[in-house]
Amino acid sequence: MAKTIVELGAAELTLGSGASSVKVLKGINLSVSEGQSVGIVGPSGSGKSTLLMVIAGLERLDQGTVHVDGSALHELNEDQLAAVRGRAVGIVFQSFHLIPNMTALENVAVPLELAGEKKAFERAAVELEAVGLGGRMSHFPGQLSGGEQQRVAIARALAPNPALIVADEPTGNLDGETGRQVADLLFAKQAERGATLILVTHDESLAARCDRQVSVSSGRIVGDTENDVETAAQVSA
Amino acid sequence: MSTASSQNFALAVRLALRELRGGLSGFYIFIACVVIGTAAIAGVSSVSLMMTESIQSEGRTILGADLRFEVDNRDITDAEREYISSLGKVSGGVNLRTMARTADESDQTLVELRAVDDVYPLFGSLDLSSNLTASAALSEKDGIYGAAVAQIFLDRLSLSLGDRIKVGNAEFELRAIINSEPDALSEGFGFAPRLLISRQGVDEAGLIRPGSIVEYSYRVQFQTGLDVEAVAEEAKLAFPDAGWSVRTSNNAAPSLTSNIERFSQFLTLVGLTALIVGGVGVANAVRAFIDGKRNVIATFKSVGASSGFVVQIYLIQVMLIAIGGILAGLVVGAAIPFAAAGALSAILPISTGAEIYPAALGQAALFGILVAFVFAVAPLGRAGEVPATALFRQQSFSDGKLARWPYLLASGLALALLCLLAVVLAEDRRIAAVFLLGVGGAFLVLIVVGRVVQAIAKRAPTVRSTPLRLAIGNIHRPGALTPSVVLSLGLGLALLVTLAQIDTNLRREISGNLPERAPNFFFVDIQSAEVDGFRTLINEVTSDPDLQMVPMLRGRITALNGGEINEQNVPPEGRWVLRGDRGITYSATIPQNAKLTAGEWWPEDYQGEPLVSFTADEATDLGLGIGDSVSVSVLGRTITAKIANLREVEWESLSINFVMVFSPSTFAGAPHSWLATLNAPGADAEKEGEILRAVTQAFPTITSVRVKEAIEIADRLVGQIGTAIRAAAAIALISSVLVLAGALAAGNRARSHDAVVLKTLGATRKTLISAYSWEYGLIGLATAIFALAFGAVASWYVLNQIMGLPSTFVPEIALTTIIAALIVTIGIGLAGTWRILGQKAAPILREQ
Repeated sequence: MAKTIVELGAAELTLGSGASSVKVLKGINLSVSEGQSVGIVGPSGSGKSTLLMVIAGLERLDQGTVHVDGSALHELNEDQLAAVRGRAVGIVFQSFHLIPNMTALENVAVPLELAGEKKAFERAAVELEAVGLGGRMSHFPGQLSGGEQQRVAIARALAPNPALIVADEPTGNLDGETGRQVADLLFAKQAERGATLILVTHDESLAARCDRQVSVSSGRIVGDTENDVETAAQVSA
Repeated sequence: MSTASSQNFALAVRLALRELRGGLSGFYIFIACVVIGTAAIAGVSSVSLMMTESIQSEGRTILGADLRFEVDNRDITDAEREYISSLGKVSGGVNLRTMARTADESDQTLVELRAVDDVYPLFGSLDLSSNLTASAALSEKDGIYGAAVAQIFLDRLSLSLGDRIKVGNAEFELRAIINSEPDALSEGFGFAPRLLISRQGVDEAGLIRPGSIVEYSYRVQFQTGLDVEAVAEEAKLAFPDAGWSVRTSNNAAPSLTSNIERFSQFLTLVGLTALIVGGVGVANAVRAFIDGKRNVIATFKSVGASSGFVVQIYLIQVMLIAIGGILAGLVVGAAIPFAAAGALSAILPISTGAEIYPAALGQAALFGILVAFVFAVAPLGRAGEVPATALFRQQSFSDGKLARWPYLLASGLALALLCLLAVVLAEDRRIAAVFLLGVGGAFLVLIVVGRVVQAIAKRAPTVRSTPLRLAIGNIHRPGALTPSVVLSLGLGLALLVTLAQIDTNLRREISGNLPERAPNFFFVDIQSAEVDGFRTLINEVTSDPDLQMVPMLRGRITALNGGEINEQNVPPEGRWVLRGDRGITYSATIPQNAKLTAGEWWPEDYQGEPLVSFTADEATDLGLGIGDSVSVSVLGRTITAKIANLREVEWESLSINFVMVFSPSTFAGAPHSWLATLNAPGADAEKEGEILRAVTQAFPTITSVRVKEAIEIADRLVGQIGTAIRAAAAIALISSVLVLAGALAAGNRARSHDAVVLKTLGATRKTLISAYSWEYGLIGLATAIFALAFGAVASWYVLNQIMGLPSTFVPEIALTTIIAALIVTIGIGLAGTWRILGQKAAPILREQ
């Protein structure tokens, strides 16, 4: 039986305070196995991005439990969470979130540097080559196209070899063709490394490429289905 | 055309006002910088005007006369007396320094003795304790004259009213304490406590003898409405050889007025520096403001606004905010004289009626507007470069690029006007120009320093520590805080280091280095008949004394090379030589501590035409050389001597030095006194007291000056001035720190995103804090090192090149500067960063 990488139990979270407070997650239970790819879908405001943030250790639960790669995130303080992220979680954002004043190479090297990796820049260069940006290493984010920036972000997420890759609308800011290329890259790399991938998307075809599709609505999981990935891949192609 | 442009302007104003609805967020540092700089300049100029105007309006009281005649070391002639008496009511007085002893001669002190007649004071009132009148306090009663003294005199000799003291050969009864002398300001600075006695009392004491250093003054109260300036001119013309200094009530305390003006000029320049440092804050705020307005500007452009029009809107907006700050600064500056009046009237015996000084406020407002314009216009020019397409594309625009030339030209022209005004309005234009060049130089050097620090960081070898590696990266990356931190902190710190170096060196020179080389005593007014007895006494009371005695006469230069003296042709630093009587001497041999730089010393038995040896620096100032002639009036006789040689003199040695040393035969037979210095090796305070007592008892009319006491007074004075200067420099530093805080805050806004991303990638708060600490610390250290280097060079220039004093680098200042710079940069930097570290990552990531 495959190892469980992500485990949420009765997860609850309220954002905002007072009259403007909204209960975003209402008793979520979710379990994701090693090497699986999961697409989280749902309408705007359903809580899917917040769910992803909780799994990435960027948002803390009010109640319930969350375990990632053996760590009980709900018991950790901020710095311990940062350490888990650095070791086990690679994050890809819709708006890339590269550091504008660092070159592509520096951006990819940062998590490795933070993890104390001695050959951070060599490994970062290899990652950039792997995403096809070997010729753009010394470019700043402002000098790269959207697709290129997202590829840098993927290289950065993959660099520490995390057990879990989470992606929030990774193709949301990209045109159709570029988005497809980025998605291909993401799935290819996940498969290559045997990592677990959880992505949030509005894009049905992207969700269909995942092993499993979880539907969220009003803070609850309302659907959880296995995909026929081969068919989905053909549809997407 | 002009109607169209005025309509355009009106529209720009309307739009600017609409834009102002957004509030002043982001402009608080800008406003604070403008307020501080403007308030400092307005305050300093207002206080200076208040003081000089008070001196002017109370001129008659301060001078104690409409017109005051002063002659040194001789009383006036009958003809002169007749002339002065014809002008109105006259009050005559005498000033000299002498020793006052307790009745049992167990203790004594140097006093500034002033003798007045029965009609003193002509203006104002002499405030004595117990409401005694001058005549009651000073006149002869039961065979003894009275005296009024400063409280400090009683304290120093442990005496009380009713006790008796000895001055010269007479005894006086202490009858009153002087609360205030109406004309104290025009009397100049006193090194010793005041002793007031009657004119007859001086004669009784036998203090005035040939060669005595005495100042005779005659104060006149005009009976009719005479024009004081015209009479003063007439008096100089009528008695060209009198050598008297004639002072009018319009200019009652010229040296005080000129000192106030010089000091105020210096403080105004420091205020201007604060304003210029604040200008960096203005530029930073405007840059951040324009960056924040990118979308609005792009929107303006997309609906048809030209680049120039957009710049116009924001220039109006920024200048309106600047004017608001300037007005607030003027209110503070205008209030300063009202607050200072009380404190100043305690120090200076004048009634300082504060009011609002429009000229001072106008000057400050003008400087404020110009500085705001100079620093705002270049970053504002970038507003014109925002393309309308910025609405559709996320890209940073022209980062680090200079503004286009018309904006740079406008900024340059305003800067030139600012410098021109600062120089034209200054009392000493040369110093103002040098000061501004220094500030400009520091600015340029700081820009270079910032670049060098970044270049070094870029080439630094890879280090193992992750935080340090992140810090080094932050220092050199595009958009780094390095240039703005170095520029904002560097200027204020450099100014402070320079002033602290000068102040510390000056005080060390006075209280440290000088006393080591200085003699223990100066003895003045030793009569020729007393020379042998004096020498014997000194040999009795001290072991192995080094007693130097030289003859001393008083003389005034009346002509150079036979021509009239025109002070205007002489540089300011050399004019003192021509003013009033100077001590002169004669000698067969070259004096100690002197070195000939040109010509030759005369033979010991030289008997020919009068020759003179001149100090080299002063000869240069007066344009004199070997073979030129100098005419000197001594004891009413004019002597013309040829310059035989030039000498270099080390004035700081405090040994006896004269500008002019004549060949001995020049003054053969002329009555004169002697001046002596005594170096008593190993003499402590007790021994000095013993020497003082012995000399004063045996020779009551010889004036003894303990050098240590005089030096302590000078040290206190320099200390007080130093405190005022450092307070002014602190204003520049406050501006500096404000600008730094602003720059760091703007930087923090930009880096909160970076910090959050780093956290998502696994950075702990500790890693981020130590990375930021390293970054701020390294930049702060680099800035401090620059400030130290700049301060060392600037203070060396002032001390060594202008003041002619040795300059040593003070390690304590270096250490304090480095620590202060580190505390300020790391402290302010982390204070802002701390907030970022506490922020939750998710909301920031979601917003983007």
